[in-house]
Amino acid sequence: MAIDKLDTAADIETPEHVYFQRPIAGPSRRIFAYAIDILIRGAVLAVFMVLLMMTSVATPDDLTEASMGLVMVAFFVLEWGYFVFFEMFFAGRSPGKMASKLRVVTGTGQPLGLYDSVLRNLLRAADIFPTAYAVGLLVMARDRRFRRLGDLVAGTMVVHEGVSDVSGPLIIHPPPTPQELASLPGRLPLAREDLDAIELFLRRAQSLNPARAYELAEMVAPIYAERLGLHPRNPWRFLQVLYARARPAPMTGAGGPVYGGRHR
Amino acid sequence: MAHESQDAFVQSRQPRWAELDRLLDGRLLHRHDGVTIARVASLYRVVCGDLMRARGARYTPDLIAYLDRLVSRGHNAVYTSRSTRLPTFLRDVFFTFPQTLRKNWVFFALSCALFCIPLVVGLVGAYGSRDFATDVIPASQLQQMVDNYSTGFDEGRATGADTSMAGFYIRNNIGIAFRCFATGILFCLGSVFFLIYNGLVIGAVTGFVSAAGYGHNILTFMCGHAPFELTAILISGGAGLQMGWALVDTKGLTRVGSLRTAAPDLARLIVGAAFMLLIAAFIEGFWSPSSVPPPVKWAVATMLTLMVAGYLAFAGRGREAPR
Repeated sequence: MAIDKLDTAADIETPEHVYFQRPIAGPSRRIFAYAIDILIRGAVLAVFMVLLMMTSVATPDDLTEASMGLVMVAFFVLEWGYFVFFEMFFAGRSPGKMASKLRVVTGTGQPLGLYDSVLRNLLRAADIFPTAYAVGLLVMARDRRFRRLGDLVAGTMVVHEGVSDVSGPLIIHPPPTPQELASLPGRLPLAREDLDAIELFLRRAQSLNPARAYELAEMVAPIYAERLGLHPRNPWRFLQVLYARARPAPMTGAGGPVYGGRHR
Repeated sequence: MAHESQDAFVQSRQPRWAELDRLLDGRLLHRHDGVTIARVASLYRVVCGDLMRARGARYTPDLIAYLDRLVSRGHNAVYTSRSTRLPTFLRDVFFTFPQTLRKNWVFFALSCALFCIPLVVGLVGAYGSRDFATDVIPASQLQQMVDNYSTGFDEGRATGADTSMAGFYIRNNIGIAFRCFATGILFCLGSVFFLIYNGLVIGAVTGFVSAAGYGHNILTFMCGHAPFELTAILISGGAGLQMGWALVDTKGLTRVGSLRTAAPDLARLIVGAAFMLLIAAFIEGFWSPSSVPPPVKWAVATMLTLMVAGYLAFAGRGREAPR
């Protein structure tokens, strides 16, 4: 499918031989999640140190040395155990990943196991090499599923679980006139992918600067106009009419279809 | 089959989508009663069919995206991976870990060689020549080590200092071992470097302190935790080499596929090594610096060495070999 090549999504085939897609998270989202995790780790360590300082005020200085040791242990546990802990007990999500709606899953889209999590997080030591995750980013850039070294060894990937609102039907405004519809032939040489692409464009065009949308339409419309042997004056309008003609408006009421309540 | 309009399709299926949505939203699947689990499973399969039909009938992308998401959630609920349970985990650590180590002994042997040869070089070099020692480690740090070991441990350390040092060892030494492992993925180079480097440094420090006349102190200090700590570092390094080698000799698989084939062994090895390092850290923090007389420390060290060697050589023999 043409859309596959643009979107970074992993096709996952279920045992029912049905496949579904999980959008892969790119580096920017993951860096954002990582930054949150770093801040949380720092905050936990700071709180821990303050607590130790408060207890050592009241006691002889033997304890201050002991608390240095405890701080080291806390630092160690946070450094190597933080991600494994959360990935195990919160189904692949550290707090940073929860905040940016990411989840670690296995290559087949299932929750990851303990050994998967240990491997992917220990290998941070290699991904972070020589500094600032340079190796990790390089490897991610080469991989279709944006996996860093840790993900490659553990067989995991990070997916995005954004909110998918079921949008209402696409309203063509103003509605196409019968003359406009009649200007198109009865049988349209459009594949499903073409229609999907046009729909995606028209939806996106609503949030674009009109001049920009027009410009983009100018690049797309000739492909279809040529197939139909037409020379439309307004490429944007042409795509709208083409869409309206190819996909009859749904008959549901004003609100559009409601499929099943909330969507995650 | 007659073409069904999208609205008719949605209208007839919507109740079951909503039902599945509701059932998936609550608690985890295995916490439901049997009837509900069966219901979720059958609903999930029906919705799989709906998704395929929606795709085939070229319904709008938003409907397909909605069903896609519903199916993906259902799939995650129905097909979870086997969770790690404590008995399985303990069996892995006690039996499968030594089995795995023996199965991949070549890498462990290689790791030993890469570590021990520089260790001997460092030891002999620093013992014989001060210049050699200061080439490896800055003179100020070496002097610091000599000062540390000049007094011995007849008095022991204050308990606070023990905890402090244990904390330091946990962070530092386990970190070293994990780094020895992880950097092996750079085609073995990282593991090779860290093994040689750590062998050389440990050898040079020991040699230098011995040359200063405190060899007895440092060796008595090290003998207790060394069997656990050095062995664990060697195992980690070996696992790192194995990982890097999987990238070099792929046995006809893709590089990623070759890594994935090695992954279960690697995970067992590194988790086993982590346990050994944890034990080492506590010995190093509390036992090694204690005021226990040296002969006792040496006797215990001998016992621990035999224990570790026996465990790695014999534990899990006769049981089913790891896959």
